[in-house]
Amino acid sequence: MAGGYPDLFGGGRVNYLRLFGVYFRLSVMGELAYRVNFYVQLFQSLVELTTALTGLAVIFSYTNNLAGWSPNEMLALVGVYFITGGLIGLVIQPSLEQFITSVRDGNLDFTLVKPEDAQFLMSFQVVNIWKLIDIVMGFSVLITALLRLGNKVGAGQAITFGLMLLTGTVIIYSFWLILATLSFWFVRVENILVIFQSMYEAGRWPISLYPGWLRFGLTFIVPVAFATTVPAEALTGRLTGNTLIDAMVVACALLVVSRVFWRIGLRRYSGASA
Amino acid sequence: MRHIIENKNERKYKLFPLTMTSSAIHIHNLRKSYIVSKRESGVLAALQSLVVRHTEEVPAVDGISFDLAPGEVVGFLGPNGAGKTTTLKMLSGLLHPTAGEVSVLGFVPWKREKAFLRQITLVMGQRNELVWDIPALDSFELNRAIYRVPPADYRSILDELTELLDLGPLLHKPVRNLSLGERMKCEIAAALLHRPQVVFLDEPTIGLDVTMQRRIRKFVAEYNYRFGATVLLTSHYMADVEALCRRVIVIHNGKLLFDGELSSLVQKFTAHKTIVVQLDDIYADLHTYGEVVSRDDGHITLRVPKAETARVTERLLANLPVIDLLVEDPPIEEVIERVFAQGSS
Amino acid sequence: MKDLVVLYLQQFKTTFASMLQYRASLFIWMIGSVLEPLVYLVVWSTVSVSHGGDVGGYTAAQFAAYFIVLMLVNQVTYTWIMYEYEYRIREGLLSPVLLRPVHPIHADISENISSKLITLPVLFVIAAGLAWFFKPTVAFLPWTILPFIPALVLAFLVRFLVEWTLAQSAFWTTRVSAINQVYFVLVLFLSGQIAPLSLFPRSIQILADLLPFRWMIGFPVELILGRIDPIQALTGLGAQAIWLIISLGLVRIVWRAGIRIYSAVGA
Repeated sequence: MAGGYPDLFGGGRVNYLRLFGVYFRLSVMGELAYRVNFYVQLFQSLVELTTALTGLAVIFSYTNNLAGWSPNEMLALVGVYFITGGLIGLVIQPSLEQFITSVRDGNLDFTLVKPEDAQFLMSFQVVNIWKLIDIVMGFSVLITALLRLGNKVGAGQAITFGLMLLTGTVIIYSFWLILATLSFWFVRVENILVIFQSMYEAGRWPISLYPGWLRFGLTFIVPVAFATTVPAEALTGRLTGNTLIDAMVVACALLVVSRVFWRIGLRRYSGASA
Repeated sequence: MRHIIENKNERKYKLFPLTMTSSAIHIHNLRKSYIVSKRESGVLAALQSLVVRHTEEVPAVDGISFDLAPGEVVGFLGPNGAGKTTTLKMLSGLLHPTAGEVSVLGFVPWKREKAFLRQITLVMGQRNELVWDIPALDSFELNRAIYRVPPADYRSILDELTELLDLGPLLHKPVRNLSLGERMKCEIAAALLHRPQVVFLDEPTIGLDVTMQRRIRKFVAEYNYRFGATVLLTSHYMADVEALCRRVIVIHNGKLLFDGELSSLVQKFTAHKTIVVQLDDIYADLHTYGEVVSRDDGHITLRVPKAETARVTERLLANLPVIDLLVEDPPIEEVIERVFAQGSS
Repeated sequence: MKDLVVLYLQQFKTTFASMLQYRASLFIWMIGSVLEPLVYLVVWSTVSVSHGGDVGGYTAAQFAAYFIVLMLVNQVTYTWIMYEYEYRIREGLLSPVLLRPVHPIHADISENISSKLITLPVLFVIAAGLAWFFKPTVAFLPWTILPFIPALVLAFLVRFLVEWTLAQSAFWTTRVSAINQVYFVLVLFLSGQIAPLSLFPRSIQILADLLPFRWMIGFPVELILGRIDPIQALTGLGAQAIWLIISLGLVRIVWRAGIRIYSAVGA
């Protein structure tokens, strides 16, 4: 007789991994039907890279030091910018954009009726595999920059870099989630994308450049600094222990805050009394 | 107004036998109100709304109560905005009630416990859950993973659903290449892969052609018969309800107007009967016999008060060259309209 | 002509009311238009400081003036019409628009201006705040007010018409984002958003003069900041007028072609 199925595979974590695998596979299958998207993404990423490099060229035609960053260090920053941008565009952005749409057209109901955590389902439901191009491109630029700097990147530095990259991504994810959760209150929240893009653009420059209040804004209000400058600092020998700790603390705090806000948003959506 | 003469006995499907156990679905004095902001038109009002918010409380569901036994198939009827979808959403845990009790399979739906969600399903007409660009079968994998359906059970339920819904050739085509009806069948299948005990269907046949509607009705009945699932079905289409539901619940303006057998609904709310006469003389003037509702190639439909039926029939047969004569209850759409009209007054 | 005025007045009432409803997202969008010039302001100020106080005739304070004014002018002239049309065609919302006996561009312009009526006051406050912080210096010449108004109006019209034409590309392709991206990059470099055009090599400046981008944003900014002489101002207005005529023509051609495609494919 009917009755649903109890926890299989030990439930919990393993199922989330499995679910992500399914989402990934489905997205790949769907995208492979549109192979031209590969070329479109390649074109767009190259245009973006050219823009960034040309901008740098114009600036460094007038100086060879931008707030203490040399041209090759700036190049490294651009590399990190593309890597983190790629990571965001790979899963976080397309999934949460889809979520925002589903609040409006009511398809969110399908997800809420499922016996798995809605935040997880919504956060990983769409994978834009072509964004791997950005990640590859970012690493190429980064490696080029490091070679030109002549830096020997030790294991310690590489690990810190990886860690900072991870915390940066987690911070951006939590931020995105908070923005997306706003769609429970406001209707036209998909404009958020444009805003994030321009905010994120500010991350192409080292935050030490900005006046105090803007630096604060780009670190704690829209945490772009953690996504780009901080991981780049890890590889150019500027990362302080304080910043490292700060990054990890902010990552954990934001993860919790975004989760709480999400649950508040869900309660509002389902008409629970405050 | 169209009038169909049909054999009354062909409509009902065989359904799951009911037992006297505790309710699968229980609601008591269920209430759901929305706070809606009021605004006049015009630029001045638009600017005003920046400073002052006028709100009012609108009851979508206004104190309804009913119980469904396990395995019952119940039709939930009502015009747009009556509160059907709101009730379904409260039963599936999507909405918190403003007041009242609600329990499904012993769970409180809005708590959204995983054990509860694994046993229900919600199918919404004209809404897609399947991923657009890939074959439905691949989309099924997602539900399979989410509901943790074991491989053997998955294969067997998939085979049964494929058979019952004629899914064979459809499963391997990308969903975007399917027609609306084919897509709906796949959506329904996706929703049932985990063999839920309670099935909520929100206008499942809306927008589908007649053949497909019948197909889906038949499927719902067979599913209910085979698995004993409790089915609560909302619809606009009388045909859905007539075919599937022993019991109907009528809701209007958030209030229950009727809860019982469809036949007694007809009995309670009609003061008229319909007489369909086929005459030799198709231009005959019958207005002295009753209200002429329509003339369709030789068939004239009359509406007469119930009490007069026998007398009018006698007169017709005595005075006119009658080829054929049929006495019927008015179409259920008309009955329901009367129920709604009464409900809103 | 009178009908057009009546039409616009009516359009304004409806679009203003609806834009008020979406004020939240309008303000969110505005953050982007503040941040971009702000970033370049900071970058170029830093460069000028390390370059001995002056880069290409701009001190840090003058860069501040440039980018703050740029921010305001950009807000006056910007559009989002490319996204709008891509969305409309994708969702099939274009048909009701086509059924009306008036050209849809009027409603689009009205919507654009209505939203700016709401955001510009706030942006002025933000500009004031930025000015207080960055202490810009301007060599303001009173005569520039006279050509500035028409320059600003022409800039808005040219930009709107060009971007409206570009928006029609959604009739031909779904890859509108790629086209938009290339366009935005060109605007970024050639309109003076990334740096005052005088900082670019001569060849780029000539290119910027030939293309419409400078006339959409950079020109009014340079004008009001007293960076160009009266002759250049006049020729600039002339260039804007030429581009206005060109873009009007483009709008007509592209719209007709687009309709043909749209109705051939089916709404």
